[in-house]
Amino acid sequence: MRRNSPPAFACWLVESVLPGRYPEAMLGDLIEEYTLRAESTSRLTASRWFWSQACRTVPSMVWSSLRNRDGLISTSVAIGVYIVMGMLKFAADWTISKVVAPEQTTYVVLAPVVFLTTSAIGGCVAARIRRGATMFLALMVVITVAVLMELQVCTIPVPWWYQFGFLTLGPLAVIITPTLFGRLKATRNCHVNGPGTIAD
Amino acid sequence: MTFPAYLFYIAKQMNRGELLGSLEHIILLALARLDGGAHGMIVRREIEERTGRNISIGAVYATLERLEAKGYVSSVTGEPTPERGGRAKRLFRVEAAGKRALQISEQTLRCMTAGLESRWEGI
Repeated sequence: MRRNSPPAFACWLVESVLPGRYPEAMLGDLIEEYTLRAESTSRLTASRWFWSQACRTVPSMVWSSLRNRDGLISTSVAIGVYIVMGMLKFAADWTISKVVAPEQTTYVVLAPVVFLTTSAIGGCVAARIRRGATMFLALMVVITVAVLMELQVCTIPVPWWYQFGFLTLGPLAVIITPTLFGRLKATRNCHVNGPGTIAD
Repeated sequence: MTFPAYLFYIAKQMNRGELLGSLEHIILLALARLDGGAHGMIVRREIEERTGRNISIGAVYATLERLEAKGYVSSVTGEPTPERGGRAKRLFRVEAAGKRALQISEQTLRCMTAGLESRWEGI
């Protein structure tokens, strides 16, 4: 039997990351339509359609969430966690620069570790308090890194990919880490074996 | 009732909460057509078939949530089914307030477009 499994990452994005009141129903609708499309066309076409729906859903849900009370609460949680993250990072940076490794080169190596760890912790805390808050927190991390890059606060000369790593891996750590720690469970029961059965 | 008086009546009736956005209007109409409750994907499909607009499921749910908050639609959870990966449907239906908002929007549109047909002929 051909396995009709919708893209797991897109499932996770829709059900676990995006704000909204009915993520489970929304993902169920997408899986139902995906199964029909995979049978009538091909699995590749259906997967492409699934991905386009998942990606186009992001701005709609984030914008809608920003406009209502739920979004306000999620944003407040994200801001609170962001402040705590900032304090954590400041403390870690200070400890590294003053105690552990006063040399600049060692700091350049350790800074991404501190940044990613702080982002991961922040993501887990935000997801634990409120599911939709991780998306807002990730957005805030992107904006912060972009602003810091634009202001050129880093006096040490670093290659472009080093800064690009901060810009991409930081928000990813915020979003993905809660899943890795079992906080978000979107991929569970996501695989469908065709009509009428669920893959184990 | 004269035409200006009718317009005044409509404007008075439509307080801020009753103003429908274009997507809200279309989704309410789709739900009204699918009488008896429908889930998001059916609404999306109905709009696509009738208007050719390929809207995302996220836009449909975001609008449905907004309409529910306004009291224009209500929703209930259906039974989880295997073809949906064990996930339950959320069935939406239009409430009386939603039907009233639709009527007012339709009346307003009719009033605003009255007499414009001759101007549109050349377009």
